[in-house]
Amino acid sequence: MRPAGPDVVARPIVLVLALVFARDARAQVVTYRGWVEGKALVFPQQTPNDPERLIGDARGRLEVFFGPSDWIQVASGVEAWANSYNQVDGEAALNISDRGVRRPALSLRRLSATLSRRAITFEIGKQFVRWGKADVVTPTDRFAPRDFLNVIDAEVMPIRAARLAVVAGSNAVEGVVSTFTPSRTPLFDQRWTVVPPGAAGIVLRDGGSRMPSRLQAGVRWSHTGRGFETSVAFFDGFNHLPNIELSAIVPASTATSGAPGPRPLPAAVGLVRSFPTLRMYGADTAVPTPWVTLKGEVAYFETRTAQTDEFVLYVIQAERQTGEWLLLGGYAGEVVTSSRTESNFAPDRGLTRAIIGRASYTIDATRSAALEAALRQNGDGVYIKGELSKATGQHWRTTVSGAVIRGAEDDFLGQYRRNSHVGVTLRYSF
Amino acid sequence: MIGEVTTMRDSRRAQHWRGILALSFVVLSGAPAMRAAEDARQIVAEAQRRSEAASQRYEGWLQVFDAKGRVSDKRWILVRLGSHGSSKMVLRFTEPPEVKGVALLVINHPDRASDQWMWTPAIERDRRIALQDRSTRFFGTDFSFEDLEERDVDQYDYTRLGEEPLDGDLCWKIQSVPKRTKSSQYTKSIVWLRKNNYTFARIDNFVKDEVVRRATYSDVAEIQGIWTARRVEMADLRRGSRTRLTLDKLQYSLPMKEEDFTLQAIRRP
Repeated sequence: MRPAGPDVVARPIVLVLALVFARDARAQVVTYRGWVEGKALVFPQQTPNDPERLIGDARGRLEVFFGPSDWIQVASGVEAWANSYNQVDGEAALNISDRGVRRPALSLRRLSATLSRRAITFEIGKQFVRWGKADVVTPTDRFAPRDFLNVIDAEVMPIRAARLAVVAGSNAVEGVVSTFTPSRTPLFDQRWTVVPPGAAGIVLRDGGSRMPSRLQAGVRWSHTGRGFETSVAFFDGFNHLPNIELSAIVPASTATSGAPGPRPLPAAVGLVRSFPTLRMYGADTAVPTPWVTLKGEVAYFETRTAQTDEFVLYVIQAERQTGEWLLLGGYAGEVVTSSRTESNFAPDRGLTRAIIGRASYTIDATRSAALEAALRQNGDGVYIKGELSKATGQHWRTTVSGAVIRGAEDDFLGQYRRNSHVGVTLRYSF
Repeated sequence: MIGEVTTMRDSRRAQHWRGILALSFVVLSGAPAMRAAEDARQIVAEAQRRSEAASQRYEGWLQVFDAKGRVSDKRWILVRLGSHGSSKMVLRFTEPPEVKGVALLVINHPDRASDQWMWTPAIERDRRIALQDRSTRFFGTDFSFEDLEERDVDQYDYTRLGEEPLDGDLCWKIQSVPKRTKSSQYTKSIVWLRKNNYTFARIDNFVKDEVVRRATYSDVAEIQGIWTARRVEMADLRRGSRTRLTLDKLQYSLPMKEEDFTLQAIRRP
């Protein structure tokens, strides 16, 4: 018997949608899915700017899909989030833009209409657009901002976009136009923003974000050949990962004294996120061989914004599913063609020049385990995260997870060495 | 009405006419032709011909029994356009809730192994299932990815091994060995085909000389003129587990569109 609970929320929404589109009753198909979960994370170590060690999350998601006829489908979804440590915005209204620094308490996860006619598919609204074939680092995945409030456990965020896909035999062309959605960067007063030891007493003031106003666009051609797949992609828009503009805020008395001697440390530093223009030329491919599937993805990024790097990211990986194992390993690399950036937040680049790997194992019908790791080639940074999960009945799943991060202070991964953590998640799916 | 099981009377009448036709064939053509008609390949080809349909849809209920006797349930909806070597298939999970929306697209080819992609809504991405991955279990069931392909008569070489009764039905026992162009995890299969309705009764799949997976077909009924097993049990003999697939609301020859069997289409729940 299916327990009551979240279904109480889902059923009225399904019913309302069914009534709204009641005319063409024969073609209607309404489906829904969702979950509610509670999660606790424990960080054994304090950081200089963040003494909190225990963070709790309560979260729920509901998605409803409705097909009023065989050529149109409506997808909708909302997500609610509560958090014990000020990571969720207090605003109670439904958030549509996903542009806030904190996670919205209630957000529109998706609301899109998909029209499909023969070889043409057109989707408009809030949706997910995923490009690329690599797994841990995906250079061409430019329409997929992420939530980096936990840097090594970042979820993909939806965007507001229009997507047109045309399929002709083994070829497909996809065009996307979207408004800008930034990645959610670590909060400046919490542990995933690392303050250098010498600046521990300085207050970081969040000066907000300067959002681009123009639209972004991209096009991707994919070909499915006999025994291989390949894509070529072009993107023109903005990097969803920001440059960080710093400004020293010096107390008025010190600033105007004109006294000789060493320059005093500022009392505070203002931080403003700005999003540089970005033009990407990329490609990806997957070639199954008799032993492994080889995947490659490469992208060149250029910009018109000053003080911003131009660079190439590439990933080469091999993948193999054998028995109950799914194994993946490879190398993510970076070549900087123009070095100009002063300060930015770039986890995509931070995970390059690294050996990457992932393994998952199905223990039995209800239990599974997974492991993911990245090791910088110079050994200066490493993270290993793992999880063990067990389903109970048709609805419940308990997951125990942990992450170990080690490395040097000046390495992208190593700087988070005080952020190793363990967690437990209890989820009810419906 | 579509999907209606025809009456026993209709079925007996059909069998009667088939008998007369077969007898006429023997009388007109003589014994050598009879032997040819019962040639292993022809038997399988006839079984394939009789199961051909423009399309198929069913709701599948999967019960996975592990080696310790624990049972877990899954449900999927399967739609298929075309038959055998030229068919396309989309299989989408509906239960349990945490895998709802996970979909598998299979494009079968008459001359080589199928192309397969899996769509995982939790990460909004599709993944091609490589040939070397086809021997792995499909989503915790005892079916491998390869077992979800539709076999085509031209992809195998056949040898007739004789006749054997199986669960009360007299069956042809036929060995099938995959041709070079058909990449398969199995070295060979032994197939039991019911003589009375040309449906599969059992398939033993071998790796070298060991039976590794055994599929048993039961609850046979004639649906829209096609004799169909409505229960398939796949046993993984090495793990000691088995999965029972029960086909519900099975329908043939429904109107379906090519464009619903693409990577774009499986994104839509």
